[in-house]
Amino acid sequence: MRFIVTKAGYGSERIGNLTGFVKCPNVVIETPTSGLFTQGGSIVHLTADVLARVFTNPQILVMPLTNSIQLETGVKAQNEGVTKFAGLPEHVACVTVNNFSEIVPPGHFEPGKIPLWTKHGKRMTTADKYMDIMEIFRPDMFLAIADGCMSVNETPKRLSKAVDRTCKLLNTCVDRYKASKELKNSALVGVVVGAQNQKKCDECIENILKHVDCISGVALEGITDGTDLLKEDTNQYCDIFKKIGGALPKELFRILEGCWNPAMTLSAIEHGWDIFDGTYAVKLTNMGIALKLSFDVTKENETPYLLDMVDERYKEDFSPILEGCECLTCKKHTRAYIRHLLNTREMLASVLLSM
Amino acid sequence: MKNTPKALSFTVQSQCLKTRARTGLMKLPHYTVKTPVFMPVGTQGTMKGILPDQLEEIDCEIILGNTYHLGNRPGVDVLKKAGGLHKFMGWNRALLTDSGGFQMVSLLKLAEITEEGVKFRSPYDNSEIMLTPEKSIEIQNCIGADIIMQLDDVVQTTFQDYDRIKEATERTSRWLDRCISAHQRPTEQNIFPIVQGLLNADLRKQSAEEHMTKDVNGFAIGGLSGGEAKDDFWPMVSLSTGILDNNRPRYLMGVGLAVDLVVCVALGVDMFDCVFPTRTARFGCALINKGQLNLKQKIYESDLNPIDTDCLCETCKRYTRAYLHCIVSSETVACHLISVHNIYFQMRLMRTMRENIEKGTFPEFVKQFMNEVYPQKTFPSWVVNSLSSVGISLE
Ligand SMILES: [Zn+2]
Ligand SMILES: [Zn+2]
Repeated sequence: MRFIVTKAGYGSERIGNLTGFVKCPNVVIETPTSGLFTQGGSIVHLTADVLARVFTNPQILVMPLTNSIQLETGVKAQNEGVTKFAGLPEHVACVTVNNFSEIVPPGHFEPGKIPLWTKHGKRMTTADKYMDIMEIFRPDMFLAIADGCMSVNETPKRLSKAVDRTCKLLNTCVDRYKASKELKNSALVGVVVGAQNQKKCDECIENILKHVDCISGVALEGITDGTDLLKEDTNQYCDIFKKIGGALPKELFRILEGCWNPAMTLSAIEHGWDIFDGTYAVKLTNMGIALKLSFDVTKENETPYLLDMVDERYKEDFSPILEGCECLTCKKHTRAYIRHLLNTREMLASVLLSM
Repeated sequence: MKNTPKALSFTVQSQCLKTRARTGLMKLPHYTVKTPVFMPVGTQGTMKGILPDQLEEIDCEIILGNTYHLGNRPGVDVLKKAGGLHKFMGWNRALLTDSGGFQMVSLLKLAEITEEGVKFRSPYDNSEIMLTPEKSIEIQNCIGADIIMQLDDVVQTTFQDYDRIKEATERTSRWLDRCISAHQRPTEQNIFPIVQGLLNADLRKQSAEEHMTKDVNGFAIGGLSGGEAKDDFWPMVSLSTGILDNNRPRYLMGVGLAVDLVVCVALGVDMFDCVFPTRTARFGCALINKGQLNLKQKIYESDLNPIDTDCLCETCKRYTRAYLHCIVSSETVACHLISVHNIYFQMRLMRTMRENIEKGTFPEFVKQFMNEVYPQKTFPSWVVNSLSSVGISLE
């Protein structure tokens, strides 16, 4: 897999291309982009058949191991990688460790092990075990396992430990990665933590750059433990996006996990972040809220961009969510119908909003 | 002679020479439906997370909506303003609605039935509501389905008291007359009477014969599939289809298990509905000819086969049992995938039966099917007896 910046903006923002996926050599994924968030290997609420009605081109599937580790036995038996097993072979998998749109319980660490909070409870995982699973999953890209789950206000001591641990874990992942035949078509992504402490953060980035020959991208963690980011004070995060973005070489693609609202996402894009995890759309859908952004800069966007579809006012509203939107939901269904489905707790509601 | 155009025309395409099975085309205002047909149930104006487009691709030609639920939510006003349920849910093919009476009696223990109608307390605001035959038709006229059901007097199928059954049967006939005179859209919607009489042959005969005298375009057979013994069930189906004439479609309510479908098609039924295929999907169960697979079971953990190797549905094309096993208890996607397969399974079974009836090979198909379901030839007595009544010998 390759990443090239095709166009740099006046500031740090940039347009890039992800290409050279071995299973789909002609595919170009343009960045900045949002991946599609998965649970158990499937896009939340959308089957492969429905997904194909929404997107005709391959998408990045963001697969946190905490919600997909149960696939291990089946993927291993089939031996064709995780996307094939999950019924989405034409798409590109990016395996991550945690789902940062939900609160991850605070860590309790053993030397060399990271807690994975799966639906069957906590699983202490070593870098070696993690790499074993990657060799079975064979994703198109994957994050190195890291100690990246903490709030932005973490104590200096915890930060310092997290950076040390993350560096060690990365070194193990790199050793395994270099020796692995199974992972020769998978891109390894380093993880930056410790952004709140200049010195430790530099150490972490330095360690990543030491392995730059085998690392294709960088992900930023350690600034959230999954608590609701939608209401957070934003300046602190914008500064971090800027600082870390500026410290990374241009040729590495940059992944930002977490459930950021559109304004924060735009700020991250401004500072050169390329790939987002798609949890925002999932979260809104689960709350029954439709996202209505026209992306049309020629129009003043004065109307609210979030529609709470359960609201009484849509009861007899027979217009689509967004007039002129080409998605299947807007083309065929009305606000009134979606409200009805939400009120009756029918699953189709989630399907339509996800689109 | 009537001057108004009919809202339904039914033509028998081919008739099995041995059994009562036949194929037909039922032309309805929104779609021409090939019979015998299975109608999946979309209780609240949707089908378990499946898009209307997907239903069309699975070959669903007619689906069922529940009047009781739709009348509450979204409610008659919203449906009226939307221009009917078809427009509201984005479904362009045929629809059928029930009368709401069965739901009420089965969901609400406190329902009280009088000559006027069904009286019950609303689960939403606890107010007293009276569902009369007129009210049921009024709501169904708003929903706008191609086929609507008369309100019938529902008694538990296994109920024993002769007087009550007789009362219910006769009241159902009286209510039919009230429904027909309340019906406002006879050129766009068809009222089907419901043959009652539970398991009493005389009452059922009386009910069917009385309905035959009415100006209606099709019939429903009700009051069955309510927990009665199969040995009691099939003779009532057979009795009803024997009386109801051949030129109008016959709809057996609430039946949808594969073996039941095959037997009842042989007995001359044209239409079926059942919540079972979608309900069982919710519990992780996928339908196959031999019964069902519970995908929650650990034996599927490494099973790389699709649910059914011969199935061409979108689920079987892409997903293994092993994968469905992984997500079946946690992801809504699993429920959608299994529902798609299960509805496809029903559609495929009906299509296979239609093809065999048309080719003149239906009796052979029935034998082959039963041998697959019961490979040890442990055929239940009701299957043996019902099929032998139409000339198919399993032994
Ligand atoms: Zn849209
Ligand atoms: Zn299938």
